[in-house]
Amino acid sequence: MDVEIRDKPSFAHLGVSLAPGERIIAEADAMASMSSSIDMKTRWNGGVLSAVLRRGLGGESLFVNEFSTETGGELVLTQAFPGDMECIDLKDTTLYLQPGAFIACEPTVSLGIGWAGFASFIGREGLFRLKVSGRGRVWFGAYGGIFSRDILTELIVDTGHLVGYEPTISLKVGLAGGIFTSLFSGEGLVTRVRGPGKIYLQSRSFGGLVSWTNSHLW
Amino acid sequence: MDDLSPFLGGVLSDAIDGGRSGAEIELRSGAIQARTPEGQTFSIPFRACRLELGGASGRMIFCHDESGGLTVFCEDRRFPTALELESGGVLSDQLDRVRGKRRSERRRSRTVAIAVVVLLAGLLFGGYHAVVLAARAAIAALPISVDRQIGDKVMSTMDLGGPPISDDLVVSAIQSIVDRLKPHASVEGFDYRIQVVDAPILNAFALPGGSIVVYTGLLEAAEGPEQVAGVLAHEISHVTLRHGLKGVAQSLGVVLGVRTLLGDVEGLVALGAGLLSEGVISSHSRAQEAEADAEGVRMMLGAEIDPRALAGFFELLHAKSGDTPGLIAWLSSHPQHEDRIAAIETQIADLGAPISRPLDIDWEEVQRRIGGQVKDRNE
Repeated sequence: MDVEIRDKPSFAHLGVSLAPGERIIAEADAMASMSSSIDMKTRWNGGVLSAVLRRGLGGESLFVNEFSTETGGELVLTQAFPGDMECIDLKDTTLYLQPGAFIACEPTVSLGIGWAGFASFIGREGLFRLKVSGRGRVWFGAYGGIFSRDILTELIVDTGHLVGYEPTISLKVGLAGGIFTSLFSGEGLVTRVRGPGKIYLQSRSFGGLVSWTNSHLW
Repeated sequence: MDDLSPFLGGVLSDAIDGGRSGAEIELRSGAIQARTPEGQTFSIPFRACRLELGGASGRMIFCHDESGGLTVFCEDRRFPTALELESGGVLSDQLDRVRGKRRSERRRSRTVAIAVVVLLAGLLFGGYHAVVLAARAAIAALPISVDRQIGDKVMSTMDLGGPPISDDLVVSAIQSIVDRLKPHASVEGFDYRIQVVDAPILNAFALPGGSIVVYTGLLEAAEGPEQVAGVLAHEISHVTLRHGLKGVAQSLGVVLGVRTLLGDVEGLVALGAGLLSEGVISSHSRAQEAEADAEGVRMMLGAEIDPRALAGFFELLHAKSGDTPGLIAWLSSHPQHEDRIAAIETQIADLGAPISRPLDIDWEEVQRRIGGQVKDRNE
């Protein structure tokens, strides 16, 4: 399977060419165009129960689409917001993704939901997170650019910029500074990320867009 | 030995392409040994091992080598015990420290979890009641013309189950009962529009705004005009107490509660549109029925109609239940009528002996006319 991330970084999308017999799993609604030789099959995102959990608690769709072909074909997958996309190759490793980041994966990758903890919830990152594990490539997207950091000790990240992280990373939510600084610096809550491990960050946050839009509505 | 079974974990090292890999971890020959799926092997002697607790789950154990360039990690619950046994006490101090940290963090997160759950439950409970109260206040502030618009809309989409009866004597008899009750309604300004519908259904219902439908099945079964007056007083009370719209407010509270709990539930927004008409025509709650009974009795006393007729009608229903399938409708939407009879009798007893003036209706003739209609229908 040949997958290319095109139009990086602002309006990235995936150009997938499937050879006969190959398959790819994608987030529902990610398909922008496809060859008529490709079959699309919608299935529950995992089991029915875990799909409902993922929808209600992980912010993911109830369904995923499986694209397959017997003769080969082209497929374009995209995301709803402007921003970059990234591919990682899992080698029996795991990656946690924030709600909405997942775009596609090879069929050998398994999708699950994991408890993210109350720290994540208070940091407005959700009680649950999507867990991708196994072997194979995973594509995920972000709002704005994506950059990664190898964390050896600790890094402070503004809530809402975190896209994905490895299971060796621990998260703690805290105030940005003292109470006064936290309230008036515009930083509010921050996430303290402790390594070792890798994290993926997005250069824009939806919270930032929402408050910027709100301030221009009146 | 069971402890020697490989654990699933991973390795962080610059020697691996990409710097990280999943790995099988074994404890043997005085070292922690990790083998990646690609076949690379790594080893940290127990003596040179520095243990640390962390990871996304908070219970992952990291083993760093002396240089810090190699880390083996494992999340398996059996791993610490196996490590203690195999290392022969070399790592005991470090493991104790790790366990102590884990215990205190678990205690802390449990406290936070309980606090959050309590807070959430409080928010949900408070939110639900706030929404219901706010919606009720909003309904009380709405002009009654809104009730009528909603009622008319619902009426136009309803299948009444039979043709309306135009027989003047029947219609004017029912109208005269309503006219006698109307001055005693708790809210003025409602315009009660009565439709008598020819169907063997032992039921009557009211829509917001004052549209009232009475079925011939009920008129045939009633033992006198006073019983019909009881049913009408009850239905008028639903209108003046604005039970239909309050039911919608109640459902709205539930929907918002679910939304708060689950986040965005877009499908429910679509449901919300249906909810309005659904809430208006679906059966009232038991509390609303009891309220309408009490208000109905009050109206009947005011209009000088013996309120015991309403209790009498319930008794009639009770006795007849099982005879007619049509009864099931009334029973299902009006449960527990033994309790209701008792409640009405208590209320009457508290208010003293009612003064009653007979209704000026030739009931036999009304029933004969309805019977004629039914006969026509059958022929």
